[in-house]
Amino acid sequence: MSSESNDHRAHSDLVELLDLRIPGDAEAISRVTDSVLATLSELQVPEEKRLDIALAVQEALANAVVHGCKNDSSKEVRCRLKRDRDGRVLIIITDPGPGFSLEHRPDPKSPAHMYADHGRGVYLICQLMDEVQFEKGGREIRMWKF
Amino acid sequence: MDINVRKRSEVQVIQLRGALRLGSAVDELRQVMEEAVGNGDTRLVVNLSEVPMIDSSGIGLLVRFLASTKQRGGSIKLVQPSKFAVQTLRLVGVLNLFEIFDDDDKAISSFA
Repeated sequence: MSSESNDHRAHSDLVELLDLRIPGDAEAISRVTDSVLATLSELQVPEEKRLDIALAVQEALANAVVHGCKNDSSKEVRCRLKRDRDGRVLIIITDPGPGFSLEHRPDPKSPAHMYADHGRGVYLICQLMDEVQFEKGGREIRMWKF
Repeated sequence: MDINVRKRSEVQVIQLRGALRLGSAVDELRQVMEEAVGNGDTRLVVNLSEVPMIDSSGIGLLVRFLASTKQRGGSIKLVQPSKFAVQTLRLVGVLNLFEIFDDDDKAISSFA
């Protein structure tokens, strides 16, 4: 995972398949997750990969809504799904929040946090996706699945 | 998400249908669990056979109530989580906290 802007893949290689905007409301997230799943299914992406991507999208949108929008439904989260000619999938999720720091995040697998009821989202995203980048001070996440 | 709760042999069996994720699904399950524990029912079985996805909010809820019920001499036991749910629990390092069973009967019997 890198916090630097180093997307070396040419944008002309990427085809945009979805560009959705939802209000900062947890109930709106499933609409996007389900659209991502449906689009990936039409592209015949294998089920395991589809589920990994969908869950990563769910987690990233949850963070965007809760932390980026502070659950304010007057704010908006954007989710884009792109694919390159080699079948690699890129998800970009952007929120209007203040951003966040990747440093000093607790390790959810440490004994002290094992029974915590939150704090696993970013960790899970990094396990599910092959490459994860945070841009714009943490207001945007770019996630690749190869 | 649909939630069905029934009591069998002093164990609350909670059947879920749908994704367990941030929002009303987690909120409703939290209410069910809070009510159960509040009533002194600390032996819970959660049937996940119809739950295609659990996100970190759902996991956080399960883990929180696992700790809470264990402190009161009970536990939460899981029935038939999907392959993907098992993978998710494993990825965040909590799979081994739970006992997992093939069906409700075996989970209920394990409390004896």
